Amino acid sequence: MSQKSSDNGASLSQNGTSAYTFTKEQLAEIEVLKTKYPEVQAVTLPVLWMAQDTFGHVDPEVQRLVAYTLDLPESHVHGVAEFYTQYFKTPKGKHVLDVCTCLSCHLCGGMDTLGYLENKLGIKAGETTPDGEFTLQEAECLGACGYAPMMQITNDVYVNHLTPEKVDQVLDQLASGDTPDFESIPMPLVSTTSNNEAAGGSDE
Amino acid sequence: MSDWTTYEPVLIPNIAGLDRLETYRKHGGYDALHAVLHDQNTWPDPASVVQEVKEANIRGRGGAGFNAGLKWSFMPPVDGGPRYLACNGDESEPGTFKDRKIFEYNPFLFIEGATIAAYAMSITSIYVYIRGEYRSWIHKMEKAVSDAYDAGLLGQNILGSDFSVDLVLHSGAGAYICGEETSLLESLEGKRGYPRVKPPFPAQRGLWGRPTTINNIETLSNVPGVIRNGADWFKSIGAESHPGPILYGISGHVNRPGVYELPSGMPVMTLIEEVAQGMRNGKKLKAIIPGGSSTPILPAKDLEDLTMDADALRGAGSMMGTAGMVVMDEDTDIVETLWRISKFYHHESCGQCTPCREGTGWLEKILEKVVTGQGTTRDLDLLLDITSQMEGRTICALADAAAWPVRYTISRFRDEFEARCKPSLIPVG
Amino acid sequence: MAEIVIDGIPYSFEGKPKLLDFILSKNKDVPFFCYHPSMSAPANCRMCMVKVGQYVKNRETGDYELDDQGERRIRWFPKLQTSCNMDMMDDMIVHTHETDDLVKRAHKDTLEMILINHPLDCPICDQAGECPLQIQTYKYGPEGSRFEVKKQHKPKHVQLGPRVTLDAERCINCTRCTRFTDEISQSHQLTITRRGDKNHPTTAPGTVFDDPYSMNTIDLCPVGALTSTDFRFKARVWEMNQTPGLDITNGKGVNVDLWTRDNVVLRITPRHNPHVNEYWMTDKGRDAIHLYNEQRLSTPAIRLHPNDSSLVMTSWDNAYQTTQEIVESTDTKQILVLGSPYASVEENGAWMQFSESILKQSPSYTTHIEKESGDDFLLVDDQAPNTYGCELLGLKKRTKAAFKKAVAEAKVILSLHDDYIERGWLSEEEIKGKTWIYFGTNHTQMAKAATLTIPITCAVEHTASYVNVDQRIQRTYPAKETKYTNRRLDLEMSEGRLDRFGTKFDHWVNEDHKVDCKPLWEIVGDLSLLWGHTLSYRHGRDVLDALASNIPALEGVTYQAMDDQRGILLTSSETQEASS
Ligand SMILES: Cc1cc2nc3c(=O)[nH]c(=O)nc-3n(C[C@H](O)[C@H](O)[C@H](O)COP(=O)(O)O)c2cc1C
Ligand code: SF4
Ligand code: SF4
Ligand code: FES
Ligand code: FES
Repeated sequence: MSQKSSDNGASLSQNGTSAYTFTKEQLAEIEVLKTKYPEVQAVTLPVLWMAQDTFGHVDPEVQRLVAYTLDLPESHVHGVAEFYTQYFKTPKGKHVLDVCTCLSCHLCGGMDTLGYLENKLGIKAGETTPDGEFTLQEAECLGACGYAPMMQITNDVYVNHLTPEKVDQVLDQLASGDTPDFESIPMPLVSTTSNNEAAGGSDE
Repeated sequence: MSDWTTYEPVLIPNIAGLDRLETYRKHGGYDALHAVLHDQNTWPDPASVVQEVKEANIRGRGGAGFNAGLKWSFMPPVDGGPRYLACNGDESEPGTFKDRKIFEYNPFLFIEGATIAAYAMSITSIYVYIRGEYRSWIHKMEKAVSDAYDAGLLGQNILGSDFSVDLVLHSGAGAYICGEETSLLESLEGKRGYPRVKPPFPAQRGLWGRPTTINNIETLSNVPGVIRNGADWFKSIGAESHPGPILYGISGHVNRPGVYELPSGMPVMTLIEEVAQGMRNGKKLKAIIPGGSSTPILPAKDLEDLTMDADALRGAGSMMGTAGMVVMDEDTDIVETLWRISKFYHHESCGQCTPCREGTGWLEKILEKVVTGQGTTRDLDLLLDITSQMEGRTICALADAAAWPVRYTISRFRDEFEARCKPSLIPVG
Repeated sequence: MAEIVIDGIPYSFEGKPKLLDFILSKNKDVPFFCYHPSMSAPANCRMCMVKVGQYVKNRETGDYELDDQGERRIRWFPKLQTSCNMDMMDDMIVHTHETDDLVKRAHKDTLEMILINHPLDCPICDQAGECPLQIQTYKYGPEGSRFEVKKQHKPKHVQLGPRVTLDAERCINCTRCTRFTDEISQSHQLTITRRGDKNHPTTAPGTVFDDPYSMNTIDLCPVGALTSTDFRFKARVWEMNQTPGLDITNGKGVNVDLWTRDNVVLRITPRHNPHVNEYWMTDKGRDAIHLYNEQRLSTPAIRLHPNDSSLVMTSWDNAYQTTQEIVESTDTKQILVLGSPYASVEENGAWMQFSESILKQSPSYTTHIEKESGDDFLLVDDQAPNTYGCELLGLKKRTKAAFKKAVAEAKVILSLHDDYIERGWLSEEEIKGKTWIYFGTNHTQMAKAATLTIPITCAVEHTASYVNVDQRIQRTYPAKETKYTNRRLDLEMSEGRLDRFGTKFDHWVNEDHKVDCKPLWEIVGDLSLLWGHTLSYRHGRDVLDALASNIPALEGVTYQAMDDQRGILLTSSETQEASS
């Protein structure tokens, strides 16, 4: 979160200022992104992602940086950021827990998982713990319906088959600065003629 | 149908390490693309590929079930300008979690399929739209795509031919509506995901105003098999009117939920009892939602001889959708389940058109009333009335997807709803 | 030529008109909100539904297929269609709500949906009385609402910019406002934010909606979601009367409507003219209400002693006599007469005649061009509404230097309208010691520095014509009464409810809103009588007729012709057409 400096890319200084800046490397990366699409506007989503990964959110100041960098109207970037739920329009806790409570998860105890987390963290869904560690959110279907209940951590890994014990373990892990590993869930075996345990290769 | 227990999976075969290019190629991967590009006798021109795929009748696995080859044939003649293929990996319909299996276990099958499709339609760029939540799978795809480029399987002069095409991965950012094909195009163009009015159809004016075809990930992953083994082979798998392998996603109250690759037309009860190893805790089956949350619910009594293919499901009063089956046991609170589905559509409506923007919220709010015991029987009729005010009146099918569950769940489980409601003698309309 | 059958009546058409446009052009009604003829059609309100089908033709023979009754077979679209984005095709069959109950039901359903989250606050809403939502609800809406759950709340009285206020709860999400800033003004200052039923228009945080055309969104908005910060809660529309007029704040000649109540111009809105401004106008042009209502010169005024700091009211007779005395006691060579591009063709014409016959000289004028202040749209460099009119009349154009020199050499100056001091062309020092008779409308700097001020009618108090930068001559109508006019007697003036039913004993009628001023042509007529000349014009029309018979470019130009052709282009064949 540095103040705008003068040596940092032509596109930014043309239009105005933002309290945030992209690094030279990032600006170069944006130039590469632009070559993948016939129009600049198409990189709005990727660059908002880049910004969120860098600054932790895309609040209006960050949205402005994106608009200036791409030379697009600020209103455009704002409208896009507001449409998509994964973009954090306000700063969030260090870890954002998105607990799915949608159809299959709802059937399999997603609400209980959410309730357990609410109790444990002492906050309601949509809130952040006072120490800024955790933000708890209720999520719509995350595409892991068979592994319910589940949650996603800060827009990244999924943790599946949640039980209170597993939730405790994940929270401890996060608190200690570690993130859970990607869980590869193999395709269960159907063919009786095959003698392998599961179809599909493992991760490695 | 043939014995499913001996079915050998083709989309995600039981081979370790298929996500590595050399393993994939060792098992016949990229033979199909090679043939299409170099075997002049079998594949004299791109049109011959379209013809074969059309013949195979790969019905779109994204939900609408449209013949992929037929869709490809709608692309206008080449005029020298850019043409696009948009691959739909948004996978956000509740109950659906199958495309990610392809990304994870057989990414090159999909990439090969997309490349063949690109050749068949003279596509100049492929965009693969993957829902933003699938970050882990996007990373896997990034690796696969970069390996394919390195091996000359994407980019300039693919496999030494004069065919060139680029493939770009594009991450969504949390919006179910972006799975709707024209909303996906808007999102790819960097905008709010507002579905477009049709006509013009994407084949005429798609991405950046140019001809574009949109296909689901699983749909495209069926293409290499069809090219390698022929349309007849494909048609011999599963149900006649809806042939081919299907990635069934089974979730809910079963012992072994997950994604299973099996022929189309599987008996529903077999999927539940044998494939997913029966109901959890020995409970009785109450109902299923056969193909993602928008497909009408079917009570257990209607499932006896039902098979999972488009015709049979239509006959039973539902749809194939994404083949993401949600299984509910006897303890399931149907009223609450419906409320949760409606909440989803309310949350996901893009808000462009009146009946959907207003109707989805109205449905959810009335259902919330019913769930909490505040509803009246009049509310149930009102819900049905609202669904008829939404269906067929909007820009995209999200409004229908939101209306169907309400309409069919109430009509098929009316007694459970009425048991929660106070009686009312005031007519609704 | 292709044929279409709408509600059983066949029509022929050419090209590919949009169905809604076509139906409306046949004076039939189809309710709609989001459609606007100048912008893209997102078909998002879903209001303009019709039932559409097409006659089935045999592929081989091209003959119509017939049913059992021998009637042409019709293939209906499986769903109702929105007519706003539907291209018309040959052999189309259309049913509107007039002939189809399902269409009627669809209209009712959509309105019910629109209204569920609408605040229903028409009694306190500025739009009431001219609100498409209100009108269509009365015509096509449900009798009552079945919405008994909680409404979605959204931001209210949001100051989007200096001139536009948003009430997001009233918004029906038609996106007309955002399409305007994207497609017409291209400032891209607005976007829709959030998603679903939380959607509403907004600016990016920290930015303001200060687009020079921002207020057009107020007119476009089919509900009271966007309102004018200035006009908010000032008047109910049915209390005002609407008079056509021209925007005189620059040379573009934008067509406007003037909305008055009790002789105060409360708002100015654009009037459609495809040749000039389409449906739009500048925000600046709307600001002219202040020019028309405030700081008006009313009753002549005179500086009794050169050192007096202010002028005092005087009678018209005294003003005229003083003028005569000043002129007669001065060598005509030392008199400078200035016309003005801010005044109409008629005013400059009468002024010129007066000057030539009595002061023995032609008036000169200066242009007021602000370089770079124009755009490709409705803002132009020329700040005055009638520069071409002055040119046409043959007034001598002076550069700034020539003008300053002429002023320096003159002892007596008679000038019209222009505020040379405000513009920075003259300083008060430079006018010291000169006798300046100012014929103007407002308390300008010039008026304050003058020796004698004679109040003349402004563009909304008389009928007069102006020639715009594209050389189109267009005219105004009187919208405000002066002390000497009466809307009941002047058939060109319109009467609103309050004008018709108010008396001067009613508290809502205020004589003070009538300005004590006269049309310039009447004033110069009265003045010339003092010299024994009769230069009598009762009406702008008299001046125009006289000019039209003298000036070739104005041949055939009449108010009637201007009305019929939405103004007349003086450089093209249109003039000839007008005269033939
Ligand atoms: C609201 C809505 C959401 C959709 N979501 C998806 C999706 O997540 N993935 C998908 O492949 N198709 C989705 N579709 C279907 C697509 O619009 C489109 O039919 C499909 O991608 C075409 O590919 P296919 O013919 O190969 O199935 C959705 C449709 C609607 C109306
Ligand atoms: S139906 Fe719903 S999701 Fe689809 S365009 Fe309309 S408002 Fe958006
Ligand atoms: S504010 Fe008015 S013009 Fe803008 S979207 Fe809402 S209803 Fe339409
Ligand atoms: S319902 Fe929770 S992941 Fe699909
Ligand atoms: S006017 Fe046609 S949908 Fe709005």
